[in-house]
Amino acid sequence: MNKQIVISAKHLKKAFGKGESIQVIYSDLNIDIYKEDFTVIMGSSGAGKSTLMYSLSGMDKPDGGEINFDGMDITKLNNDKLAVFRRKECGFVFQQIYLIDKMSLMDNVITAGVLTSKDREDIKNRAEELFSLVNIPEKTWRKTSAQISGGEAQRAGIVRAVINNPNVLFADEPTGALNSANSAAVLDVFTSLHGKGQSIVMVTHDKKSALRGNRIIYIKDGKIFGECDLGKFEQDNIERTEKLDKFIKEMGW
Amino acid sequence: MKKLSTLILHNLNKAKGQYISFGVFICLTAFIINIALVLTFQTFDAYDDLFDELDTADVNFIIPQIQDNDNLLTEVEEIDGVSFVEKHGGVFTPVTVREFAGSDFDMNTVFYNIDEERKLNLLDVTERSEKNGDSAYIPMYMKELGGFMEGGSITYSIDGKDHTYHIGGIVLEMQYGNYGTGLIGGYFPKEVYEEFADEYSNHAVTEYSIKTTENADLSEMKNVISEMIKEKRITLLSINDRAVSKQTRTMVCTLLIVIFLAIAAIILVVSIFLSNFRIRSAIEDELAQMGVLKAIGYTSNMIIAATVMPYVFVGIIATVIGIAVSYAVLPFVAGILAIQSGFSYTPAFDIMAMLIVVLILTLAILLFSYISARKIHRLEPVNAIRGVVGKEAAGQNILLFIVAFGIMVLLSFAGTLLYNVNIKPDNFMNTLSEELPSVIFTTEDEKMAELKEILQKDSRVKLFMEYASVPVSYTDGSLTAFVCEDFSKVTNDICYEGSSPAKDNEIAVGNALADDYPIGNEIEITVGSQSEDYIVTGYIQSVNNAGAVCQLTSKGYEKIGEKTDSVNVYLYDKNADEFIKEYEENYDTVVKSSVNFEQMSENGQMMYTGIVSVIVIILFVISVLMVLLVMYVIINSMISRRRQEFGIYKAIGYTNRQLTVKTAFGFIPVVAAASVISAIAGLWYLPGIDNVIFSLIGAVKNQFEVSGWILIVFAVMFTAVAFGISVLLSAPIKKITAYSLLKD
Repeated sequence: MNKQIVISAKHLKKAFGKGESIQVIYSDLNIDIYKEDFTVIMGSSGAGKSTLMYSLSGMDKPDGGEINFDGMDITKLNNDKLAVFRRKECGFVFQQIYLIDKMSLMDNVITAGVLTSKDREDIKNRAEELFSLVNIPEKTWRKTSAQISGGEAQRAGIVRAVINNPNVLFADEPTGALNSANSAAVLDVFTSLHGKGQSIVMVTHDKKSALRGNRIIYIKDGKIFGECDLGKFEQDNIERTEKLDKFIKEMGW
Repeated sequence: MKKLSTLILHNLNKAKGQYISFGVFICLTAFIINIALVLTFQTFDAYDDLFDELDTADVNFIIPQIQDNDNLLTEVEEIDGVSFVEKHGGVFTPVTVREFAGSDFDMNTVFYNIDEERKLNLLDVTERSEKNGDSAYIPMYMKELGGFMEGGSITYSIDGKDHTYHIGGIVLEMQYGNYGTGLIGGYFPKEVYEEFADEYSNHAVTEYSIKTTENADLSEMKNVISEMIKEKRITLLSINDRAVSKQTRTMVCTLLIVIFLAIAAIILVVSIFLSNFRIRSAIEDELAQMGVLKAIGYTSNMIIAATVMPYVFVGIIATVIGIAVSYAVLPFVAGILAIQSGFSYTPAFDIMAMLIVVLILTLAILLFSYISARKIHRLEPVNAIRGVVGKEAAGQNILLFIVAFGIMVLLSFAGTLLYNVNIKPDNFMNTLSEELPSVIFTTEDEKMAELKEILQKDSRVKLFMEYASVPVSYTDGSLTAFVCEDFSKVTNDICYEGSSPAKDNEIAVGNALADDYPIGNEIEITVGSQSEDYIVTGYIQSVNNAGAVCQLTSKGYEKIGEKTDSVNVYLYDKNADEFIKEYEENYDTVVKSSVNFEQMSENGQMMYTGIVSVIVIILFVISVLMVLLVMYVIINSMISRRRQEFGIYKAIGYTNRQLTVKTAFGFIPVVAAASVISAIAGLWYLPGIDNVIFSLIGAVKNQFEVSGWILIVFAVMFTAVAFGISVLLSAPIKKITAYSLLKD
């Protein structure tokens, strides 16, 4: 079965700094992201994983090349149009979570929801469904991020990210700041969402997180150094784990 | 806006204290501006309404009745621009009003028959005594400033004879109801008036009250009338018009409006800097969150709107509250104004003033908070989230410096007012009046030398000189002439350009005549049927006579008038009362009458001290409030930003007290530098501010001293208060624990 491309990036260039201190992240990178895939981007520190993810999601502009997101070249969009694009097409989960502090979890979600829907009640209903999906009890919805655990906060962050039914959910090291129990709960949410057909792009250097994906891309020296198809996630599937181990070893992990 | 409501409410909620402090500033600004605007819109209109209601004449002039004739009426009626003329009989005479605010007060007074039928210059008896009999009706000015009440009594002393009347009521009228014009009204019922007029038939006058057509030039008309009167060799005792009367009676109101607007401008500037500081701090503190908002699809304009709108909402609410509160205070302010203006009105709700205040403040808040927030446009979401945006200093020290400097300007102005009104009141009184002797003696012409000899030998007397205020006239109307034997001896030099007259052919004229009579030109001065040309040597100021004054040497005046008979006596100590008693007992053949001017000055001073004290108290309260609020915003923001640092300090053993004092001391160098620089700069800018404010009421040359010591003392006090407030506001540092640092 042919997979449908949702993001297609061609000849991407990105560098930081100027003159002698210039640091080229990638100079001619090409990548396709497929619909309903759980794509995991791996690589060593400084390889440009997050930079690539943020370019693909319209959060950051590449220095060159084009990014076709579901038929639209997002490199041509100005900042305001990019904002409108992101609210409709993308959801974001960050390593530091970044819930708006002193705002309740529900309001955090509504703040994102109102950008695409005028019906506040509808947003609330959907938020409630999603909170249930990520196992955040009702008594917690009115709490602020300071009053809950990191895992709960990150799961609320995921609810905020998916409240607008994004085309692609982007996650940057979503378990990087969590302990193992909280990490597992968060990853279960990603798996669950993927199971419902959500396209996900996740940057991680954590093997356990990577195992949740079905497609692993390894970045090295500013290029797609390798790619691995892990297939659908299954709990305690040793074969998948060994396959990933082997792949990242080959990549020089 | 609906999309942003959650975010706006969240912003409002998370920094309630900051918005409340900002709101208090705006509330104060709105409060003060609204008072100034309502006074501007309503005092002058109330004056005009009352003027129209009482069918007051646009121009009035007074001539001796004996010189009046029917032809004059016809000729006045034919003057271009005159629509109606009415003649009123009266008695015009200098009187001494006994116990005017506790002392004797000399006033040129014109008495009328209150029962005479009039079409112009109607008299409205606002408060009436139930008792009948020998009644006099007095203008409201006499009640408000002189302390007379309906039902009480008033004594007019004319040529040494006292006339005491029961006060039948208070009269509201718009022409002679304030002594600022140099003439005050007095009113009797028909029978009392006729008896009085009979007794003083030699002072009988005719008042011509003229109603003009709509666009008539009042100044030009006064010139035409003056010329006509002069040609007919008639003595013009007084001429005035509605514009001059209005300016005189609304003088303190104008002064208050200017001061209020200046205060409001300073507070508004501080509020704007405060909101600017707060927004810049918020952007810096919440960089990552703003990045997240951009990431999830908020545009820059939406984030800016969510940042700016809380300020606008708080600003509008605070403005409305400030306006509402101002209406509770306005009747009190109007009451203070009535003391000087001699007419009262009740300030009403003014929709126009409200709209202007709301519009000005909302636009100012919107504009300046947008300018502060627009850097959000440049915020790249990725950089914001990663925290790689170059952090700019939020301008805490700059804000503190500007605010401290601005507050010190207010305090310096208040301190200078206080110094010149309370500590050196002569400076204030000299600005508003002419000579301030301790005692004024009048004597017979032939006894003058003897009186001077007695005074010469009296060790209590610091200085004495022949000095008198007499009415004279010139082409365009009447003037009050200050006649002195030697102007080099005067204690209050009111000459602001050129010099006072030294020779008998010289004259210094008031600021009202300055434009028409350049220094070196001649001016013809008339007393009765005698006229003489004098060379203008300089310009003098006079607040009370609206600049219609002149100075003549005694010899110069004697060319046209009789030798003056009064002597100003200046004592070393304040014991005028005792001094007068002794002279009246021991030298009763030499001293004809005496005036305790020391008491009068103190009374006059009392009125202005009351008004100035209110202004100074307002300025002090505002200053302390501003320090409190600004320090609150700065310290709150600083504690929130340096939370981690304080946690570390505590972890390594610093006590709460050490950290609180250390934090409070951190602000002192900036506050101290700003206040001392402002105080020193005050030596230069304060005379300028005083000049601008007082020139509005005719005091071109103010006698205010700017005391460097007072300013430095204020600067030190201000720094100490700022330190104390900082220590109090730094208290939340106690709540930061080393453990919470780990938790953060």
